[in-house]
Amino acid sequence: MLVTVVYLLSYLYFFVLWNNSDVNVPKLSYFFLDLLDSIIVDVASECHRVARLGLDSNLEEEDEELKLSAQARVRVADPSNSNEANGKYVVDIFGQTHPPVANEIFDCLNCGRSIMAGRFAPHLEKCMGKGRKARLKVTRSSTATQNRYSRGGPSPGSTHSPYSNYSTNSMNRLAYGTSTFAGEEHSNGTLES
Amino acid sequence: MLPRNPSYTNPEPCQHLAEYKLKHGFNGYKAIQKLLVTSPIGKTSVKKPNTKVPRCGFCNGCEGRFYLCLICSSFSCLDHTLLHPQSESGHAVFVDIERTELYCGVCRDQLYDPDFDQVVMSKHSMGVAGGATGNESIGQRLIKRRRLVSGIVGLDLQKSKCRVSTKDLRGKSCYPLGLRGLNNLGSTCYMNSVLQVLLHAPPFRDYFLSGGQRLEACHHRRATDLMCCLLCDVNAIFSAVYSGDRSPYSPAQFLYSWWQHSANLACYEQQDAHEFFISMLDAIHEKEGKTRNGSKGNGDCQCIAHKVFYGLLRSDVTCMACGFTSTTYDPCVDISLNLDTDVSSTEKGKKLTKQNEDGSMSTLSGCLDLFTRPEKLGSDQKLYCQNCRERQDSLKQMSIRKLPLVLSLHVKRFEHSFVKKCSRKIDRYLHFPFSLDMTPYLSSSILRARYGNRNFTFGGDQSDMFSEFEIFAVVTHSGTLESGHYVSFVRVRNQWYRCNDAWITVVDEATVRASQCYMIFYVQKTLHNKANEDLSHVPNSPGRDLFLPIAGCC
Repeated sequence: MLVTVVYLLSYLYFFVLWNNSDVNVPKLSYFFLDLLDSIIVDVASECHRVARLGLDSNLEEEDEELKLSAQARVRVADPSNSNEANGKYVVDIFGQTHPPVANEIFDCLNCGRSIMAGRFAPHLEKCMGKGRKARLKVTRSSTATQNRYSRGGPSPGSTHSPYSNYSTNSMNRLAYGTSTFAGEEHSNGTLES
Repeated sequence: MLPRNPSYTNPEPCQHLAEYKLKHGFNGYKAIQKLLVTSPIGKTSVKKPNTKVPRCGFCNGCEGRFYLCLICSSFSCLDHTLLHPQSESGHAVFVDIERTELYCGVCRDQLYDPDFDQVVMSKHSMGVAGGATGNESIGQRLIKRRRLVSGIVGLDLQKSKCRVSTKDLRGKSCYPLGLRGLNNLGSTCYMNSVLQVLLHAPPFRDYFLSGGQRLEACHHRRATDLMCCLLCDVNAIFSAVYSGDRSPYSPAQFLYSWWQHSANLACYEQQDAHEFFISMLDAIHEKEGKTRNGSKGNGDCQCIAHKVFYGLLRSDVTCMACGFTSTTYDPCVDISLNLDTDVSSTEKGKKLTKQNEDGSMSTLSGCLDLFTRPEKLGSDQKLYCQNCRERQDSLKQMSIRKLPLVLSLHVKRFEHSFVKKCSRKIDRYLHFPFSLDMTPYLSSSILRARYGNRNFTFGGDQSDMFSEFEIFAVVTHSGTLESGHYVSFVRVRNQWYRCNDAWITVVDEATVRASQCYMIFYVQKTLHNKANEDLSHVPNSPGRDLFLPIAGCC
């Protein structure tokens, strides 16, 4: 409302200036002052009601949170604070270190070959017959985004049509008919090596 | 008479108002109600009798503000509202005819009376054509609220059956259960970050840790049919992470089932964490919803995804000519918020007292204000008003009708420009509080603010207990749109941990506050406090009680 007030005041100010050469200057002055007083009392009455009924009780908490947030940003931006010195090569809370690419070895659930954990996703992509070329083709054609709740700018939510070379049933049959060891893994429910 | 509204502080009425109500009752209020004129956008004023220009009874002036005496119905200007009680004993209560506000001529202050506000709001209900429809849906909303409360009770019953077996890993057991790294299987940090959040969502976690006969039956059926069951694989992840084993876990079985289920998401490229979150909840609903309830709507769904994350958004479209409001409800499992790039928090009346030191900082409350702000619809989407029977300009306003147990807020950082045909990421810092009060964004608060913050109980108010939320997880994104990295922070027993794929490290609050949040997860405060109490009872190690977590202890 304050932006509207400023806009309206500017408009009225120019209106009065434009009619300055007229004889009715005192009348326009009174009209202008009366309207200004009315707008100011509107805002004051609204704020008075909000303050009196306690609808702004969260403001102090918000200011406190903003202060904490400002302190946090200053602290993290300080280079002397070495929170995450090496990034990936830090020791975690259990005293363990991990390689950049996970090196746990397990058998692929689709074809049964031994695969390293960090390379399982690209392997499974090829293994399940979902090639990258077909993927890119589908992605490029469906760039249009759906706007959730139709508010403001759209966010890129990709709406892809299902793309599959094989039916799920045959994929399951093919997967678990290949090796008995995969079946054993499946019955356990976990992959522990 | 009225039920006490918890979000208001009812100020003590001055003695003059008390004397007036004691002597005259509601006769003055009812007489005023006939003179009220309501505008379509919610403002109320007192109609002038005989359409004359009102004049002060004392000085006969016709300028400035006018007040109407509630006893003798005479008009007074602001200066003579002091003289009127002196000349006429007991004539102290006035009404500002421009704004319909009570005013005491002796105390020289505005008064706020719930009974008067109810009279004004009754006039509004008479004016709008949709008043009868609103009364019918109040009962349905109360039924939904009871179901929500019973849902919490149900979750509490499941919680009592929680049996977490604690292995005696003496060297690594000073940290609570549930902290375990997830191996990156190849650009799967989007999946790992969301899984870490789901592993620590209190109602969601308690459901899976309490087990269930359904899952055993499904497991038996899976062995025969050789089907991939997503719920069993989620259950397997919960069992593995909460088993006490601390070496990083490879969610390969889950990834395989997930790619079987969602064929369109089965690719090696980096994906959106929010999209994975939405799709996974849809998948859980699809799996479990069919067996739990037949073919009911989403509102009555009893699957764990809807029990925990289901909320209801309300969309009001108001005709600017006659004030008719069309209301629709939209179920949601999260709320997507635009970043408030242009800081316009001074537009709200309640924010005038707030001093903005950093004028360019975006806040979560600013984003929620932007989400619930009335928005004028463009000329190409004019509303066909059922009252006017033609297309009119209209205002659209969103609000939250029903809050979920776990509130998931998604910040839209990836924007796509249709004009430039390019996408970019908004690297703007967003401040988010650790305790969030969602009362100002409920439908009742939005409706109240639309009609001038009158002290009036709109149908189906949620109490304060269910509007207070506490943060428990944040998913952050660093990098660019094409190549980035997701990291999640989880809060276990008021200690923050950074889950960076296989690395679990302790961080302080400052690191979490300064992070670039992409998804923020809040749980209702009652569930948060209960979860903290329950977790403290889980025995870590009977022989060693370390209260301060030390990184790298062996």
